[in-house]
Amino acid sequence: MAAESPATPRKVVVHLRATGDAPILKQAKFKIGGTEKFAKVIDFLRRQLHRETLFVYVNSAFSPNPDELVIDLYDNFGFDGKLVVNYACSMAWG
Amino acid sequence: MASPCDGTLSPTEFKFAAEALMKKWEECKSILHPWIWIPCPKLPFGAPDKAGGYLSLEHIHHFEFKKQQDCIEQKYSEEEVEALDSATLVLSGENETHYYNFHIIYSTSYKVPVLFFRGYHQGGQPLKCDEVEKDLPLYTSKLLEESKWTFITQEEHPYLNCPWFTLHPCGTSEWMRLLLQQRLYSSRPEDLCSHYLVAWFSVVGQVIGLWAPLNLVHCSSSSSSSDTFCSHT
Repeated sequence: MAAESPATPRKVVVHLRATGDAPILKQAKFKIGGTEKFAKVIDFLRRQLHRETLFVYVNSAFSPNPDELVIDLYDNFGFDGKLVVNYACSMAWG
Repeated sequence: MASPCDGTLSPTEFKFAAEALMKKWEECKSILHPWIWIPCPKLPFGAPDKAGGYLSLEHIHHFEFKKQQDCIEQKYSEEEVEALDSATLVLSGENETHYYNFHIIYSTSYKVPVLFFRGYHQGGQPLKCDEVEKDLPLYTSKLLEESKWTFITQEEHPYLNCPWFTLHPCGTSEWMRLLLQQRLYSSRPEDLCSHYLVAWFSVVGQVIGLWAPLNLVHCSSSSSSSDTFCSHT
């Protein structure tokens, strides 16, 4: 899993997992360039689910900043060759 | 009864979680100052305070956290900039230095940590609501437009008795429960508790533009401090 040379742009398999009352996506797994920002994953979810406010977090109970790079998230939270991203629709602040 | 399993903390668990955050924060060598525990044995109006204090991160230069989000703002803000009144557009001017203080305080009513913050000019003069709003990340400003003051409000600081901004805590236990869900079965209660504020800060920090370093999750703090853990409430 960590065998790739640093020079080749790495792709990361992202597994989108619905939690709470969020709808399940038809295609839950997809590949994304490691140098993309996490914001791209969030935008993708927003478009798919037609929701503006989403609660998105990775395993280990952590909600990354949208500006983090996908590869950094994979290196920190990836497991079994993929990065699991959980999403829920409700995010009530007040 | 408070428990990390339902997204809440008891006052003693809060103190434990605070110590864990301070330790992890120091270990992961964040570019920001360390969090400091401010002991306050009693609330000024006499009610006993079991948490015994609060966490404090002070005198943070606005650009220290502003620069972290600049790229994303540029990406999303091109059309937004036009909408602002150019006559009042003084944000991020070179001569305009804003500092922020952040406190994490235990709320006995909601049994969750609450973020209190205040911004001020270099000379100490406090920032007004609209000035603070301009310093917030773009997506937070958008949320504020939609639900003004339901999510950032101005309240009396429970220890300092002056108005501070605060993120309303009524949804906190709900999303904390969601966030901690996967760790419920794999973690010991003290591990769950020592991770609580890291998970909490990863969400709350984003609202105000502070990043939680990724390696904060992997820093272990529980081994040495678990003997001080107190699970009863």
